[in-house]
Amino acid sequence: MGLLNVIDKFENFVGVNFWTMIFAWINLLILYLFLKKLLFKPLKNMIDSRQKEIDGMYSDAESSRSEAERMKGEYEQLISHACEESEQILKDAHRRAQLKEEEILREANAEAARTIERAEEQIELEKKNAINQVKNEVSEMAIGIASAVIERDVNAEEHRDLINDFINNMGNEND
Amino acid sequence: MELEVNGPKVYFELPFDLPDTAIFTMKNLITQTTVTLLASTLLLIIISLIVTRKLSKRPGGLQVVAEKLVTMLYNLVEDTMGKHNLKFAPYIGTLFLSSIVCTLLGMTNILRSATADLSVTAAWALVTTGMVWYNNIKNFGFSAWLKGFTEPIVVMTPMNIVSEIANPVSMAFRHFGNVAGGSVLTALIYGALTAASSALFSWLPGVLSEIPFLAAGIPAFLSVYFDLFSGFVQALVFSLLTMVYVGGACPPVEELPESRRKKLDKKAK
Repeated sequence: MGLLNVIDKFENFVGVNFWTMIFAWINLLILYLFLKKLLFKPLKNMIDSRQKEIDGMYSDAESSRSEAERMKGEYEQLISHACEESEQILKDAHRRAQLKEEEILREANAEAARTIERAEEQIELEKKNAINQVKNEVSEMAIGIASAVIERDVNAEEHRDLINDFINNMGNEND
Repeated sequence: MELEVNGPKVYFELPFDLPDTAIFTMKNLITQTTVTLLASTLLLIIISLIVTRKLSKRPGGLQVVAEKLVTMLYNLVEDTMGKHNLKFAPYIGTLFLSSIVCTLLGMTNILRSATADLSVTAAWALVTTGMVWYNNIKNFGFSAWLKGFTEPIVVMTPMNIVSEIANPVSMAFRHFGNVAGGSVLTALIYGALTAASSALFSWLPGVLSEIPFLAAGIPAFLSVYFDLFSGFVQALVFSLLTMVYVGGACPPVEELPESRRKKLDKKAK
Protein backbone atom coordinates (compact mmCIF):
# COMPACT_ATOMS: atom_id res chain seq x y z
CA MET A 1 0.00 0.00 0.00
CA GLY A 2 2.90 2.32 0.59
CA LEU A 3 2.89 5.56 2.54
CA LEU A 4 -0.53 6.74 1.41
CA ASN A 5 -3.63 4.58 1.59
CA VAL A 6 -6.42 5.05 -0.92
CA ILE A 7 -9.54 4.59 1.14
CA ASP A 8 -13.25 5.17 1.07
CA LYS A 9 -14.26 7.07 4.16
CA PHE A 10 -15.60 10.44 5.25
CA GLU A 11 -14.40 12.81 7.92
CA ASN A 12 -16.68 13.93 10.67
CA PHE A 13 -19.05 16.78 9.77
CA VAL A 14 -17.73 18.90 12.62
CA GLY A 15 -14.07 18.33 13.21
CA VAL A 16 -10.63 19.81 12.74
CA ASN A 17 -8.09 18.15 10.51
CA PHE A 18 -4.55 19.19 11.36
CA TRP A 19 -3.29 18.73 7.79
CA THR A 20 -6.22 20.61 6.25
CA MET A 21 -5.39 23.53 8.52
CA ILE A 22 -1.77 23.43 7.41
CA PHE A 23 -2.90 23.35 3.78
CA ALA A 24 -5.33 26.21 4.40
CA TRP A 25 -2.49 28.30 5.84
CA ILE A 26 -0.13 27.46 2.99
CA ASN A 27 -2.81 28.23 0.41
CA LEU A 28 -3.71 31.49 2.12
CA LEU A 29 -0.05 32.54 2.27
CA ILE A 30 0.60 31.65 -1.38
CA LEU A 31 -2.61 33.35 -2.49
CA TYR A 32 -1.81 36.43 -0.40
CA LEU A 33 1.66 36.77 -1.91
CA PHE A 34 0.43 36.10 -5.44
CA LEU A 35 -2.64 38.33 -5.34
CA LYS A 36 -0.74 41.12 -3.63
CA LYS A 37 1.94 41.08 -6.30
CA LEU A 38 -0.24 40.19 -9.29
CA LEU A 39 -3.61 41.77 -8.60
CA PHE A 40 -3.83 44.35 -5.84
CA LYS A 41 -0.53 46.21 -6.22
CA PRO A 42 -0.65 46.61 -10.05
CA LEU A 43 -4.30 47.63 -10.04
CA LYS A 44 -3.87 50.01 -7.12
CA ASN A 45 -0.79 51.55 -8.74
CA MET A 46 -2.70 51.92 -12.00
CA ILE A 47 -5.63 53.61 -10.22
CA ASP A 48 -3.31 55.90 -8.26
CA SER A 49 -1.21 56.87 -11.27
CA ARG A 50 -4.32 57.59 -13.31
CA GLN A 51 -5.70 59.66 -10.45
CA LYS A 52 -2.42 61.54 -10.29
CA GLU A 53 -2.48 62.11 -14.05
CA ILE A 54 -6.06 63.39 -13.92
CA ASP A 55 -5.19 65.71 -11.04
CA GLY A 56 -2.21 66.97 -13.04
CA MET A 57 -4.40 67.54 -16.09
CA TYR A 58 -6.91 69.50 -14.03
CA SER A 59 -4.24 71.69 -12.46
CA ASP A 60 -2.64 72.20 -15.89
CA ALA A 61 -5.98 73.23 -17.35
CA GLU A 62 -6.53 75.55 -14.40
CA SER A 63 -3.14 77.20 -14.81
CA SER A 64 -3.52 77.63 -18.57
CA ARG A 65 -7.00 79.06 -18.01
CA SER A 66 -5.65 81.65 -15.57
CA GLU A 67 -2.79 82.36 -17.99
CA ALA A 68 -5.31 82.96 -20.78
CA GLU A 69 -7.33 85.16 -18.45
CA ARG A 70 -4.23 87.19 -17.64
CA MET A 71 -3.32 87.56 -21.32
CA LYS A 72 -6.86 88.54 -22.16
CA GLY A 73 -6.70 91.30 -19.54
CA GLU A 74 -3.37 92.42 -20.93
CA TYR A 75 -4.70 92.59 -24.46
CA GLU A 76 -7.80 94.41 -23.36
CA GLN A 77 -5.61 96.97 -21.65
CA LEU A 78 -3.45 97.25 -24.76
CA ILE A 79 -6.48 97.73 -26.98
CA SER A 80 -7.97 100.37 -24.73
CA HIS A 81 -4.56 102.10 -24.68
CA ALA A 82 -4.47 101.98 -28.47
CA CYS A 83 -7.91 103.54 -28.63
CA GLU A 84 -6.81 106.35 -26.36
CA GLU A 85 -3.62 106.79 -28.34
CA SER A 86 -5.41 107.00 -31.68
CA GLU A 87 -7.80 109.50 -30.22
CA GLN A 88 -4.84 111.51 -28.95
CA ILE A 89 -3.18 111.35 -32.35
CA LEU A 90 -6.35 112.54 -34.05
CA LYS A 91 -6.70 115.35 -31.57
CA ASP A 92 -3.09 116.37 -32.08
CA ALA A 93 -3.44 116.31 -35.82
CA HIS A 94 -6.59 118.36 -35.55
CA ARG A 95 -4.88 120.90 -33.36
CA ARG A 96 -1.84 121.08 -35.58
CA ALA A 97 -4.03 121.54 -38.62
CA GLN A 98 -5.85 124.34 -36.89
CA LEU A 99 -2.59 126.00 -35.95
CA LYS A 100 -1.34 125.63 -39.48
CA GLU A 101 -4.54 127.08 -40.82
CA GLU A 102 -4.31 130.03 -38.52
CA GLU A 103 -0.67 130.56 -39.44
CA ILE A 104 -1.40 130.39 -43.12
CA LEU A 105 -4.22 132.84 -42.70
CA ARG A 106 -2.06 135.12 -40.68
CA GLU A 107 0.74 134.96 -43.19
CA ALA A 108 -1.64 135.54 -46.04
CA ASN A 109 -3.04 138.54 -44.25
CA ALA A 110 0.41 139.89 -43.56
CA GLU A 111 1.44 139.28 -47.14
CA ALA A 112 -1.64 141.06 -48.37
CA ALA A 113 -0.98 143.91 -46.00
CA ARG A 114 2.63 144.13 -47.17
CA THR A 115 1.58 144.05 -50.80
CA ILE A 116 -0.91 146.80 -50.20
CA GLU A 117 1.72 148.82 -48.39
CA ARG A 118 4.23 148.32 -51.19
CA ALA A 119 1.57 149.26 -53.73
CA GLU A 120 0.78 152.39 -51.77
CA GLU A 121 4.46 153.25 -51.53
CA GLN A 122 4.80 152.67 -55.26
CA ILE A 123 1.76 154.85 -55.84
CA GLU A 124 3.22 157.55 -53.62
CA LEU A 125 6.54 157.32 -55.44
CA GLU A 126 4.88 157.45 -58.82
CA LYS A 127 2.83 160.32 -57.58
CA LYS A 128 5.93 162.12 -56.37
CA ASN A 129 7.71 161.43 -59.65
CA ALA A 130 4.72 162.61 -61.59
CA ILE A 131 4.51 165.72 -59.47
CA ASN A 132 8.21 166.35 -59.87
CA GLN A 133 7.97 165.86 -63.61
CA VAL A 134 4.96 168.11 -63.75
CA LYS A 135 6.84 170.62 -61.62
CA ASN A 136 9.82 170.50 -63.93
CA GLU A 137 7.68 170.84 -67.02
CA VAL A 138 5.65 173.59 -65.46
CA SER A 139 8.79 175.37 -64.44
CA GLU A 140 10.16 174.98 -67.99
CA MET A 141 6.91 176.23 -69.34
CA ALA A 142 6.77 179.01 -66.85
CA ILE A 143 10.28 180.07 -67.69
CA GLY A 144 9.46 179.82 -71.39
CA ILE A 145 6.29 181.82 -70.90
CA ALA A 146 7.99 184.29 -68.65
CA SER A 147 10.90 184.82 -71.05
CA ALA A 148 8.46 185.28 -73.85
CA VAL A 149 6.53 187.76 -71.77
CA ILE A 150 9.42 189.81 -70.68
CA GLU A 151 11.19 189.20 -73.92
CA ARG A 152 14.41 188.53 -72.49
CA ASP A 153 16.15 185.68 -71.17
CA VAL A 154 15.31 184.94 -67.75
CA ASN A 155 18.32 183.74 -66.04
CA ALA A 156 17.23 180.34 -65.21
CA GLU A 157 19.80 180.05 -62.51
CA GLU A 158 18.77 183.33 -60.96
CA HIS A 159 15.10 182.77 -60.93
CA ARG A 160 14.81 179.09 -60.42
CA ASP A 161 14.24 179.53 -56.74
CA LEU A 162 11.56 182.05 -57.32
CA ILE A 163 9.79 179.76 -59.77
CA ASN A 164 10.07 176.80 -57.59
CA ASP A 165 8.48 178.69 -54.74
CA PHE A 166 5.71 179.64 -56.99
CA ILE A 167 5.13 176.11 -58.14
CA ASN A 168 5.27 174.79 -54.67
CA ASN A 169 2.70 177.29 -53.55
CA MET A 170 0.57 176.37 -56.49
CA GLY A 171 0.95 172.70 -55.71
CA ASN A 172 0.04 173.31 -52.11
CA GLU A 173 -3.04 175.22 -53.09
CA ASN A 174 -3.98 172.29 -55.29
CA ASP A 175 -3.68 169.75 -52.49
CA MET B 1 -34.52 6.74 1.32
CA GLU B 2 -31.56 7.76 3.40
CA LEU B 3 -29.75 11.07 3.71
CA GLU B 4 -26.21 11.12 4.99
CA VAL B 5 -24.57 14.26 6.37
CA ASN B 6 -20.85 13.77 6.07
CA GLY B 7 -17.68 15.74 6.35
CA PRO B 8 -15.27 15.91 3.43
CA LYS B 9 -14.30 12.66 1.76
CA VAL B 10 -10.89 11.37 2.77
CA TYR B 11 -8.66 10.52 -0.19
CA PHE B 12 -5.43 9.53 1.54
CA GLU B 13 -4.66 8.73 5.14
CA LEU B 14 -1.29 8.34 6.78
CA PRO B 15 -0.43 4.82 7.87
CA PHE B 16 1.16 5.98 11.13
CA ASP B 17 -0.31 5.82 14.59
CA LEU B 18 -1.51 9.41 14.78
CA PRO B 19 -4.30 11.01 16.83
CA ASP B 20 -7.59 10.40 15.08
CA THR B 21 -10.56 11.40 17.20
CA ALA B 22 -14.00 12.72 16.32
CA ILE B 23 -13.07 16.39 16.62
CA PHE B 24 -9.33 16.39 15.91
CA THR B 25 -7.46 14.24 13.45
CA MET B 26 -3.92 14.14 12.13
CA LYS B 27 -4.36 10.93 10.21
CA ASN B 28 -6.26 12.12 7.12
CA LEU B 29 -3.67 13.83 4.93
CA ILE B 30 -5.61 14.57 1.73
CA THR B 31 -9.33 15.24 1.78
CA GLN B 32 -11.90 16.84 -0.53
CA THR B 33 -11.19 20.14 1.21
CA THR B 34 -7.51 19.97 0.26
CA VAL B 35 -8.47 19.59 -3.39
CA THR B 36 -10.92 22.49 -3.18
CA LEU B 37 -8.31 24.70 -1.53
CA LEU B 38 -5.84 23.91 -4.27
CA ALA B 39 -8.45 24.48 -6.96
CA SER B 40 -9.49 27.83 -5.47
CA THR B 41 -5.86 28.96 -5.25
CA LEU B 42 -5.15 28.00 -8.85
CA LEU B 43 -8.42 29.55 -10.03
CA LEU B 44 -7.72 32.87 -8.30
CA ILE B 45 -4.16 33.01 -9.57
CA ILE B 46 -5.33 32.31 -13.12
CA ILE B 47 -8.09 34.92 -12.85
CA SER B 48 -5.68 37.53 -11.52
CA LEU B 49 -3.23 36.72 -14.32
CA ILE B 50 -5.99 37.19 -16.88
CA VAL B 51 -7.20 40.43 -15.31
CA THR B 52 -3.76 42.00 -15.09
CA ARG B 53 -2.47 40.65 -18.40
CA LYS B 54 -2.87 43.92 -20.27
CA LEU B 55 -3.14 46.76 -17.79
CA SER B 56 -3.44 50.16 -19.38
CA LYS B 57 -4.33 53.69 -18.37
CA ARG B 58 -7.36 53.42 -20.65
CA PRO B 59 -8.85 50.22 -19.30
CA GLY B 60 -10.93 47.63 -21.10
CA GLY B 61 -14.09 46.12 -19.62
CA LEU B 62 -12.41 43.55 -17.41
CA GLN B 63 -9.94 46.02 -15.97
CA VAL B 64 -12.69 48.51 -15.19
CA VAL B 65 -14.55 45.90 -13.13
CA ALA B 66 -11.35 44.80 -11.38
CA GLU B 67 -10.38 48.40 -10.63
CA LYS B 68 -13.84 49.14 -9.27
CA LEU B 69 -13.61 46.13 -6.95
CA VAL B 70 -10.10 47.03 -5.81
CA THR B 71 -11.21 50.62 -5.16
CA MET B 72 -14.17 49.32 -3.15
CA LEU B 73 -11.84 47.08 -1.14
CA TYR B 74 -9.42 49.90 -0.35
CA ASN B 75 -12.29 52.22 0.56
CA LEU B 76 -13.78 49.59 2.84
CA VAL B 77 -10.44 48.98 4.56
CA GLU B 78 -9.90 52.72 4.94
CA ASP B 79 -13.37 53.24 6.40
CA THR B 80 -13.08 50.32 8.81
CA MET B 81 -9.42 50.37 9.83
CA GLY B 82 -8.28 53.89 8.99
CA LYS B 83 -5.91 55.28 6.40
CA HIS B 84 -2.80 54.14 8.29
CA ASN B 85 -3.90 50.50 7.98
CA LEU B 86 -4.25 50.38 4.20
CA LYS B 87 -1.35 47.92 4.13
CA PHE B 88 -3.79 45.24 5.29
CA ALA B 89 -6.02 45.67 2.22
CA PRO B 90 -4.32 42.96 0.11
CA TYR B 91 -4.71 40.42 2.93
CA ILE B 92 -8.37 41.32 3.47
CA GLY B 93 -8.96 41.06 -0.27
CA THR B 94 -7.24 37.67 -0.38
CA LEU B 95 -9.29 36.44 2.55
CA PHE B 96 -12.53 37.65 0.98
CA LEU B 97 -11.77 36.19 -2.44
CA SER B 98 -10.63 32.80 -1.13
CA SER B 99 -13.62 32.60 1.17
CA ILE B 100 -16.11 33.31 -1.60
CA VAL B 101 -14.37 31.07 -4.14
CA CYS B 102 -13.99 28.21 -1.64
CA THR B 103 -17.70 28.47 -0.86
CA LEU B 104 -18.88 28.72 -4.47
CA LEU B 105 -16.72 25.82 -5.66
CA GLY B 106 -19.07 23.63 -3.61
CA MET B 107 -21.83 24.46 -6.09
CA THR B 108 -20.02 22.46 -8.76
CA ASN B 109 -21.02 19.28 -6.83
CA ILE B 110 -17.67 17.81 -7.88
CA LEU B 111 -15.79 19.65 -5.19
CA ARG B 112 -17.01 20.30 -1.67
CA SER B 113 -17.04 23.84 -0.26
CA ALA B 114 -13.77 24.24 1.59
CA THR B 115 -15.46 26.65 3.98
CA ALA B 116 -17.89 23.85 4.91
CA ASP B 117 -14.88 22.30 6.66
CA LEU B 118 -14.22 23.65 10.14
CA SER B 119 -10.48 23.13 9.66
CA VAL B 120 -10.30 25.86 7.01
CA THR B 121 -12.39 28.48 8.80
CA ALA B 122 -10.54 27.72 12.03
CA ALA B 123 -7.21 28.16 10.29
CA TRP B 124 -8.31 31.53 8.89
CA ALA B 125 -9.75 32.65 12.24
CA LEU B 126 -6.47 31.73 13.95
CA VAL B 127 -4.60 33.86 11.44
CA THR B 128 -6.83 36.79 12.40
CA THR B 129 -6.22 36.17 16.10
CA GLY B 130 -2.50 35.83 15.46
CA MET B 131 -2.51 39.18 13.64
CA VAL B 132 -4.45 40.80 16.47
CA TRP B 133 -2.07 39.52 19.13
CA TYR B 134 1.04 40.32 17.13
CA ASN B 135 -0.09 43.88 16.43
CA ASN B 136 -1.28 44.41 20.01
CA ILE B 137 2.12 43.37 21.36
CA LYS B 138 3.95 45.35 18.69
CA ASN B 139 1.97 48.54 19.27
CA PHE B 140 1.25 48.48 23.00
CA GLY B 141 4.02 46.25 24.34
CA PHE B 142 3.78 42.75 25.83
CA SER B 143 3.12 43.83 29.43
CA ALA B 144 0.49 46.36 28.37
CA TRP B 145 -1.23 43.67 26.31
CA LEU B 146 -1.28 41.26 29.25
CA LYS B 147 -2.41 44.03 31.55
CA GLY B 148 -5.27 44.73 29.15
CA PHE B 149 -6.89 41.46 30.26
CA THR B 150 -7.33 42.77 33.80
CA GLU B 151 -9.27 45.82 32.70
CA PRO B 152 -11.56 47.42 33.65
CA ILE B 153 -11.27 45.43 36.94
CA VAL B 154 -9.18 42.41 37.92
CA VAL B 155 -12.29 40.29 38.47
CA MET B 156 -13.01 40.50 34.75
CA THR B 157 -9.80 38.68 33.81
CA PRO B 158 -11.36 35.23 33.21
CA MET B 159 -14.12 36.83 31.15
CA ASN B 160 -11.61 38.71 29.05
CA ILE B 161 -9.59 35.56 28.42
CA VAL B 162 -12.75 33.66 27.46
CA SER B 163 -13.82 36.44 25.09
CA GLU B 164 -10.35 36.50 23.55
CA ILE B 165 -10.65 32.77 22.84
CA ALA B 166 -14.29 33.08 21.82
CA ASN B 167 -13.44 35.50 19.02
CA PRO B 168 -11.70 33.01 16.69
CA VAL B 169 -14.00 30.19 17.75
CA SER B 170 -17.13 32.17 16.93
CA MET B 171 -15.65 33.42 13.65
CA ALA B 172 -14.70 29.90 12.59
CA PHE B 173 -18.02 28.34 13.59
CA ARG B 174 -20.10 31.15 12.10
CA HIS B 175 -18.53 30.80 8.68
CA PHE B 176 -18.41 27.02 8.78
CA GLY B 177 -21.97 26.72 10.13
CA ASN B 178 -23.53 29.00 7.53
CA VAL B 179 -21.90 27.34 4.55
CA ALA B 180 -22.20 23.75 5.82
CA GLY B 181 -25.75 24.37 7.02
CA GLY B 182 -26.65 25.76 3.62
CA SER B 183 -25.32 22.70 1.84
CA VAL B 184 -27.09 20.39 4.29
CA LEU B 185 -30.32 22.29 3.76
CA THR B 186 -29.92 22.09 -0.01
CA ALA B 187 -29.29 18.33 0.25
CA LEU B 188 -32.33 17.92 2.49
CA ILE B 189 -34.56 19.84 0.09
CA TYR B 190 -33.29 17.76 -2.82
CA GLY B 191 -34.08 14.59 -0.84
CA ALA B 192 -37.50 15.83 0.18
CA LEU B 193 -38.41 16.91 -3.35
CA THR B 194 -37.16 13.63 -4.78
CA ALA B 195 -39.25 11.70 -2.28
CA ALA B 196 -42.27 13.87 -2.99
CA SER B 197 -42.00 13.44 -6.74
CA SER B 198 -41.53 9.68 -6.50
CA ALA B 199 -44.69 9.58 -4.39
CA LEU B 200 -46.58 11.81 -6.86
CA PHE B 201 -45.42 10.32 -10.12
CA SER B 202 -45.15 6.62 -9.20
CA TRP B 203 -48.05 5.86 -11.55
CA LEU B 204 -45.97 6.87 -14.59
CA PRO B 205 -44.68 3.98 -16.68
CA GLY B 206 -41.09 2.72 -16.61
CA VAL B 207 -38.15 5.05 -16.04
CA LEU B 208 -40.37 8.15 -15.97
CA SER B 209 -41.54 7.29 -12.46
CA GLU B 210 -37.98 7.55 -11.19
CA ILE B 211 -37.31 11.06 -12.53
CA PRO B 212 -37.59 13.59 -9.65
CA PHE B 213 -39.53 16.27 -11.56
CA LEU B 214 -40.08 18.42 -8.47
CA ALA B 215 -36.35 18.63 -7.80
CA ALA B 216 -35.85 20.66 -10.97
CA GLY B 217 -36.04 24.42 -10.48
CA ILE B 218 -36.98 24.95 -6.84
CA PRO B 219 -33.55 24.06 -5.38
CA ALA B 220 -31.93 26.49 -7.79
CA PHE B 221 -33.72 29.44 -6.16
CA LEU B 222 -32.86 28.18 -2.71
CA SER B 223 -29.28 27.69 -3.82
CA VAL B 224 -29.10 31.33 -4.87
CA TYR B 225 -29.80 32.23 -1.26
CA PHE B 226 -27.97 29.47 0.63
CA ASP B 227 -24.87 29.29 -1.56
CA LEU B 228 -24.49 32.54 -3.48
CA PHE B 229 -25.94 35.10 -1.06
CA SER B 230 -24.91 33.34 2.13
CA GLY B 231 -21.44 32.68 0.75
CA PHE B 232 -21.03 36.34 -0.13
CA VAL B 233 -22.37 37.54 3.22
CA GLN B 234 -20.18 35.14 5.19
CA ALA B 235 -17.08 36.16 3.25
CA LEU B 236 -17.93 39.80 3.94
CA VAL B 237 -18.62 39.14 7.63
CA PHE B 238 -15.38 37.21 8.08
CA SER B 239 -13.37 39.93 6.34
CA LEU B 240 -15.14 42.69 8.25
CA LEU B 241 -14.54 41.03 11.61
CA THR B 242 -10.88 40.55 10.72
CA MET B 243 -10.69 44.24 9.80
CA VAL B 244 -12.37 45.33 13.02
CA TYR B 245 -10.23 43.13 15.29
CA VAL B 246 -6.92 43.89 13.57
CA GLY B 247 -7.88 47.57 13.21
CA GLY B 248 -8.51 47.69 16.96
CA ALA B 249 -5.00 46.38 17.56
CA CYS B 250 -3.53 49.00 15.19
CA PRO B 251 -4.71 52.43 16.31
CA PRO B 252 -3.24 55.53 14.67
CA VAL B 253 0.21 56.38 16.05
CA GLU B 254 -1.20 59.57 17.61
CA GLU B 255 -3.52 57.53 19.85
CA LEU B 256 -0.75 55.37 21.30
CA PRO B 257 0.64 56.22 24.76
CA GLU B 258 3.54 58.66 24.69
CA SER B 259 6.12 56.13 25.91
CA ARG B 260 5.13 53.57 23.25
CA ARG B 261 5.34 56.15 20.51
CA LYS B 262 8.91 57.04 21.46
CA LYS B 263 9.90 53.36 21.53
CA LEU B 264 8.35 52.71 18.11
CA ASP B 265 10.07 55.79 16.68
CA LYS B 266 13.41 54.51 17.98
CA LYS B 267 12.73 51.10 16.44
CA ALA B 268 11.80 52.66 13.12
CA LYS B 269 15.16 54.44 13.08
